[in-house]
Amino acid sequence: MALENAGSKRFSRLFTEDWLSVVVGLVLVGLVLTGILKNIP
Amino acid sequence: MSDRVLTSSEVASASRPELSKQWAWWSASLLLVVLLTVATWWLNKAVPAWSKPLRVIEFPVYAVLLGLLASGVLSVFGIKDRLAAYFRTEFFLKTGLVLLGATINLAEIVAFGAKGLLQAVILITTVFFFTWFVARWLGVEDKLRALLAASVAICGVSAAITAAGAVLAKKEQLVYVTGLVILFALPLMFLQPAAAIWLNLSPDVAGAWIGGNIDTTAAVVGAGMIHSQQALKVATIAKLSQNALIGVVAFLLALYWVVVVERKPGQRPSAWEIWERFPKFVLGFILASIVVTVALSNGWIASSVKRDLGHLREWFFMAAFLSIGFGLSFRGLREAGWRPIGVYALATVFNTAVALGVAKLIFG
Repeated sequence: MALENAGSKRFSRLFTEDWLSVVVGLVLVGLVLTGILKNIP
Repeated sequence: MSDRVLTSSEVASASRPELSKQWAWWSASLLLVVLLTVATWWLNKAVPAWSKPLRVIEFPVYAVLLGLLASGVLSVFGIKDRLAAYFRTEFFLKTGLVLLGATINLAEIVAFGAKGLLQAVILITTVFFFTWFVARWLGVEDKLRALLAASVAICGVSAAITAAGAVLAKKEQLVYVTGLVILFALPLMFLQPAAAIWLNLSPDVAGAWIGGNIDTTAAVVGAGMIHSQQALKVATIAKLSQNALIGVVAFLLALYWVVVVERKPGQRPSAWEIWERFPKFVLGFILASIVVTVALSNGWIASSVKRDLGHLREWFFMAAFLSIGFGLSFRGLREAGWRPIGVYALATVFNTAVALGVAKLIFG
């Protein structure tokens, strides 16, 4: 149980909004650079 | 109450209607954020078309007002908290900041030449520290001070947003500074080109002065156009040179905050602590900037990609300011007091004088 808590604590620390925004931002940059996302109004 | 332990299937079936209800609220919240962001985008396009002087009013104003309106209406119906799930200021802001990094082509700093870079470095350094110390002298709170200094010294709204992310400022502080940026840009857009003509400045000097002083890009373009085409060209280059250095300032500001401001008395933070507290979007910002610079320099992507990245960034910033308006506390705004207005006014006067001197020296 203690191990499970420690694991989930590490997981939530890793997936803070700070990191999530970096991942989403870079994925969006990748989508635009590869031309998958284009002609954005 | 019975002591009988519920089986897992009983728990699942009991919570299913509750969960689907929750999903309905989450979906409604997401839809509301999307609709209000589209409304902000529409206002940002339509209002400048109606009235030219109003083009200096940028999207944060419409977004905050729509957020406030939505918050008021939903509060009346008692459903504001249930629909608040997707108004995620921090997520939208930081994702927008990573995208902002992607629109900054580091090669442009070199392409603009030593003159543009020299002016940008001198102005950012002197104006930042002047504002920083005047704000300290007037007793302005640390985070608000960082936002004021960054926005006057670099590029208005974008710099205020970046500094807010770097020092984890309150949303009310960001709204306050954004309001000041727009308020001061409006008269400068008309006064500065008129002053440049009155002072008989050459188009190059006038452009460098306008680009080095006025904080919002829209107002820089407006002021440059009032003066001359050449002034507009130089003003845009001067402004872009300053914008390109925003990542450097964000990195240094974030590091200073973690190592100096938030340090416990008598303790030196370990490298791990610095890493843990350091805002990670700065890394995303720099990485995105490097990737786009390399891709553009090697001709792997078309330059039109930058326009798409700019538009995408604006969508995220609109959603961020919408979320700020949604959760805005007027008490937080009142707490900031009148002093930041005084700081901003003094810093703008200083910026105007120094920018004129530097522009004459470098571009004269």
